[in-house]
Amino acid sequence: MKILKFNAIWCPGCLVMRPRWNKVINELPEIEITEYDYDSNREEVELWNIGNKLPVAIIVDDKGSELTRIIGEKSVDDLFEIINELMVK
Amino acid sequence: MKRFKLLVILLLFIFLIPVSAKASEKVNVHLFYSDDCPHCKKEITLLDKLEKENKIVVYKYELSNSTLYKDLVSKVRKTFNIDNSYVPLTVIGTNHYIGYNDNTAIKIENTVAYYSNKTYQDIVTEIINNQFDPATDEFVVDEIEESLIKIPYLGLINPKEISLPIIAAVIGLVDGFNPCAMWVLLFLISTLIGMKSKKRMWILGLTFIITSAFIYLLFMASWLKVAVTITSVTWMKILIGVVAITAGLVNLKSYLKKLKEEDGCTVVDDKKRNKIIDKIKKVTTEKSLVFALIGIMALAISVNIIELACSAGLPLLFTQILAMNDLNSIQYVIYMLIYILFFLIDDIIIFAIAMVTLELTGVSTKYSKYSHLIGGIIMIIIGLLLLFNPSLLSFNI
Repeated sequence: MKILKFNAIWCPGCLVMRPRWNKVINELPEIEITEYDYDSNREEVELWNIGNKLPVAIIVDDKGSELTRIIGEKSVDDLFEIINELMVK
Repeated sequence: MKRFKLLVILLLFIFLIPVSAKASEKVNVHLFYSDDCPHCKKEITLLDKLEKENKIVVYKYELSNSTLYKDLVSKVRKTFNIDNSYVPLTVIGTNHYIGYNDNTAIKIENTVAYYSNKTYQDIVTEIINNQFDPATDEFVVDEIEESLIKIPYLGLINPKEISLPIIAAVIGLVDGFNPCAMWVLLFLISTLIGMKSKKRMWILGLTFIITSAFIYLLFMASWLKVAVTITSVTWMKILIGVVAITAGLVNLKSYLKKLKEEDGCTVVDDKKRNKIIDKIKKVTTEKSLVFALIGIMALAISVNIIELACSAGLPLLFTQILAMNDLNSIQYVIYMLIYILFFLIDDIIIFAIAMVTLELTGVSTKYSKYSHLIGGIIMIIIGLLLLFNPSLLSFNI
């Protein structure tokens, strides 16, 4: 499982989510995280059709196909719940 | 030529602020006392304090060591049907108080607050000037509204005097949580953090915030000038009331819309965003500090004009409330500065934390959702008051 995170430096919501994601990463080190910047990584933004709401986190399986996407601000519990659900499947 | 331009800008700024000085009348307080009376001493301490605060003028008549005021005090006692010779005897307007304790102190301050900035009958002065004859003339005792409230540690507060600062702070705070330009500040800070020179970082950051405050003050002062002239025009007040209610409903609608959406940042349109991002990059990498400062100021001006268009409702309404209150120019500026301080307080906090920790912190976007809710409610309330009971918005008249 991989997580593609799309953020922007000027986005307060992204700043709020950063420490929350750090908690998830510390507890689930096996999950690979890739960060993209909304302004600098335009290709990936278009490729994954990110839309006009940030932050976005896309969870993909090992073959790279999208399992789900998390849009906007979520609590740490919500993040663990979504990820654990996918891991069980 | 440069000096001439500077003069024009200064004149424009000064011209924008309405100059209408209105001396606030002090209240006459007449105290009949005696030197060896302990309660009198306590009361004199209170009256001296009020006099120092330019609220009153104290006239003292010492009775025990001379007969100078014997005739006057007997006339005053006759006027108020007082059949004893207790002191202190305090007369304010058409009200009198015998003796002194905490309750009397509150009554005296209430009476002073009630009479301030009002015309009233000053019985003792009339007796002194032979304009009032206790034997034949009559008068009506003014009913003093118990307007002052006692707040622990703060003492007696006149809600009318603190309403405007509180409204300035609340509306300014709600206005400030509007996210329209927050992203610009965050991006600017992110580029400032990367700077080698911390001094330049602080200078540019503070210039951005101070320029933003100045632009907002200029805008509010200009609108205040208009509001002061139209505030007596009833149909204008009705029109502003209707616009306020409409804007309030629009805000409530966007709150309901945001309820269904995720909390997060709505991305501003690419072209506009990239243009501002390029401007910020250019300014923060500018070698010359002077050009960087000019660039930052231009950026702050353009960003705040966007911000104003995005949330012009609240500052307009606040200046409308100011215009409906009997204030002088200095008071206008003070209240606008309170508004702007609270409007910028989230920016100032984020900037200060970033400068100290060299890390960006964000405020959850869910609060901007609530700023639409609270802002909308405030606009509707003010709009309804403008339509049905505008006098409630006049706190110190």
